[in-house]
Amino acid sequence: MNNIEKHTDDLLREFITPERIEKAPDGFTSKVMTLVRLEKSHLLPAERPWKKNLVPMISVVVTVLLLVSAFLIPSGKTDIIANPVLNIIKKLKFSFPDINISSLFRLSLPSVMMYVIVGIIILTVFDRALARIFKREK
Amino acid sequence: MDYKGDIYYIEQILAGNNNSFSYIVDRHKDKAYNLAFRICGNREEAEELAQDSFLKAYRSLKSFQMKSSFATWLYRIVYNTSISHVRIKKKGVLSLEDFPADATDFIGSNTTEEEADNEYRSSLVNFALQKINEEERGLVSLYYYEELSTEEISDITGISKSNIKVKLFRARQKMLEIIEKVEKKRLIYHE
Repeated sequence: MNNIEKHTDDLLREFITPERIEKAPDGFTSKVMTLVRLEKSHLLPAERPWKKNLVPMISVVVTVLLLVSAFLIPSGKTDIIANPVLNIIKKLKFSFPDINISSLFRLSLPSVMMYVIVGIIILTVFDRALARIFKREK
Repeated sequence: MDYKGDIYYIEQILAGNNNSFSYIVDRHKDKAYNLAFRICGNREEAEELAQDSFLKAYRSLKSFQMKSSFATWLYRIVYNTSISHVRIKKKGVLSLEDFPADATDFIGSNTTEEEADNEYRSSLVNFALQKINEEERGLVSLYYYEELSTEEISDITGISKSNIKVKLFRARQKMLEIIEKVEKKRLIYHE
């Protein structure tokens, strides 16, 4: 601060007393808190996008896993996965309808596609069940 | 009751305890109100501006990164809110006639001469403050009333330190000119 600045500063300080600050009026805090209560919802944690779309995400992941495994598992070794599943289904006394897909579409589809289709049907049921659970939670 | 520090209460609020905000308001209300009052020059408006600033602070508490102190962050909100308000609601320029020429106007039945003189000086400074522009008012208030350094003021206003010094110098000169004129008028009144 040069001399002129110092001089003007000193002169102004003769008039300004920092202790004389204007105090907030009575009831100021309660007024602010009333406004804050009205605003409460602003601070509620926003639902994260991944949580919001949890149901379709789980469905997609499981579907992709099923499709990938259907294509990647060598043709002779599908029994490793299929047998336990089939055993469970047998215990439930549930049988798949005997549909000859090849004759229907004149396509030569790998036998594992049957499981994929069944998987998709199961997932649809699973997806509906999850959707109901999450809706109830909300 | 012991004040545990701004950060403690901010964490409480973010965890869902909204009542903790009252401790923060209680601690900073006078400084926030004072800054708003010095910039807008009206008590009712200052109260609204300070309340509005606290509400803004509450709403954006999640974005407070704790890089600066909470007080600095709050001052920034009060400063910007008050400046914008004054700019929108530009008032007519005060004339010297708007200021009473006699200090005795401020002497009430229960006040001493010293108290009356202090009151006079305080009103004179307020009057001079209202004659300079809103940005200068904010700077003078932060520098002289809140006693902040130019670095802290720079943090609050976003104006560079060197620019603050220049603006403060101009503001001081303008205020002293106004004070001088009023004082001259006062002397003439007494003669």
